[in-house]
Amino acid sequence: MPSTSRTSPLARVVDFPARRANAAASDTASAFRRLTDEPAGHVDDWGRDAGMFRTVTTLSEIRWSVSTGGDQHLPARKGALIVVNARRFALAAVYSAFAISRAVNRPVRFVGRPDNGPLGALAQRLGGLLDHPDEVGGALRAGELVVCAAAATSRPREVGTIDHAIIGAAIHANVDVFPAATTSSPFGRRARIEIGRATRQRQRRRGPLAEVELADHIADDLTLLLSEMGDINTGTPLDWLPLSGLGGN
Amino acid sequence: MSGVGGELGTLVASLLEDEPWVGSLAGIDADPPRRRLQRTSFHRISPDDHDRIVETITQFNPHVLVHVGVWEPDARAAPRVAATLTDQAAVSIIGAAAECRALDSIIVRSGIEIYGRGPGSLTRPDEDAPLRPTSEWGRTVAEIERTAGHVAERVGVTVGAVRLASVLGPHVPSPLGRLLRQPVVPFNATSDPPFAVIERRDAARAIVAAARNQLSSPVNVVAPGAITCLHAIRRGRRIPLPLLGPQWWIARQVSHLTGAPIPDHIGEALTRGRLADNGRMRALLGMTPDISTTDVIDHLYRWPSVIRKQARVPAAEQVEPDQVSA
Repeated sequence: MPSTSRTSPLARVVDFPARRANAAASDTASAFRRLTDEPAGHVDDWGRDAGMFRTVTTLSEIRWSVSTGGDQHLPARKGALIVVNARRFALAAVYSAFAISRAVNRPVRFVGRPDNGPLGALAQRLGGLLDHPDEVGGALRAGELVVCAAAATSRPREVGTIDHAIIGAAIHANVDVFPAATTSSPFGRRARIEIGRATRQRQRRRGPLAEVELADHIADDLTLLLSEMGDINTGTPLDWLPLSGLGGN
Repeated sequence: MSGVGGELGTLVASLLEDEPWVGSLAGIDADPPRRRLQRTSFHRISPDDHDRIVETITQFNPHVLVHVGVWEPDARAAPRVAATLTDQAAVSIIGAAAECRALDSIIVRSGIEIYGRGPGSLTRPDEDAPLRPTSEWGRTVAEIERTAGHVAERVGVTVGAVRLASVLGPHVPSPLGRLLRQPVVPFNATSDPPFAVIERRDAARAIVAAARNQLSSPVNVVAPGAITCLHAIRRGRRIPLPLLGPQWWIARQVSHLTGAPIPDHIGEALTRGRLADNGRMRALLGMTPDISTTDVIDHLYRWPSVIRKQARVPAAEQVEPDQVSA
């Protein structure tokens, strides 16, 4: 009775090393496929190098293991702005762009690359945009998904200031703005992104007040998403510390 | 049409000849056209001969002026000569066209170098981006646009600027094309930024479409996609030469000696990149480029260095010297 034994708890324990080996082999194969399925030497209209992006995202999995939720809210082809909360030194916009790109299987840009030097060039190859409303507006009009981060804070539940000029670029480009709550740990690999529904303007405004109000609404939605997600736990006494950036709320 | 003697100008003229809305076509340049033109009346006039240019243009009295008579630095002339010739041609041709009562529209050839690549400049500027040229060629095309704009405002006609990326194609004199075809090609070791180009036929189609639609605003004409110098070198199977900061000066001098000078706008493209947003092409011109940047670069390496043509009369049928004497 092989089928019965295969589903029994004991058989599952006996199969465990084999299943782990198969899963690891499958992960390696998929990583290798991602690295090789597009020929090298291609950069897109914004200078994003698909081959380098795959290599770096594969390497980034050593640092972050990100689970992404709510990606079904994002448009399949149109441009959209995704606003994430950021913890200090967490590179939230970068790992969010990587994770969402893999979830929706299309390029996702992030705002905030430096303009000069090797770091700026590397960020451009990975889909980085300058932190300039015209740059972001151009990408959104071209139908790109763009991730921008609120100002970084030291507390995980807090949402920093959202640059209303970037939100204004999305309003001018006539695209939706999505809040996305992120949690990560400086000591662990686990990170999570939860994308909410598009935040709408609650009142029609004709002037620049529209972008300021929309930025405030996004901050409210982000706070709500973060409280729904709960705190990330390391399982260590660090979670008890109020200033560790991990908990204490 | 000015600049009809250049490779791009000749191509534009031949496409304009096929347009049903073109009644008659006159071309001016210092050099004769590169191929036979059927309907174009060609006038060989030097750009500094203002009197003859004014006389020829006012006599023709055009409805549409297409100004392609610009000299890219180190393409056909050294940077200083190129700037002088371009300035002379712009002033005399656009100035002469302003005297024509029938004139409705001016189309000028410009370049995406007009946006500049200074610190904080946009990665992919659209037509509304501020104009802050940082190279000699960028300042030259900005001056052409300014001259055409002033004239158009004064005489009440529309002016359209076709801002082209670096034009590549067989026989097109291009410093970028010449550099990339060298056996050893330098690239920026620390950044290697992306740039975009445009194939000469797509560029010519865009200029013709601008004339047909009487374009009244600037438009970026850039092939889709982008490429970095190192990617281009790999595709062309050239030897890459990584360079850092001050080494570029030495590379420029050596490259100049080997016949592929690197003008400042090309150096800027290789060290800071050069992209532009071509999203308005379809709306303003009703066309999009056929060939992507990567394909243009692939074609660049496929064009033969020497084109060998067979003799029109086979050698066996040629008349022998003794037969001639008999």
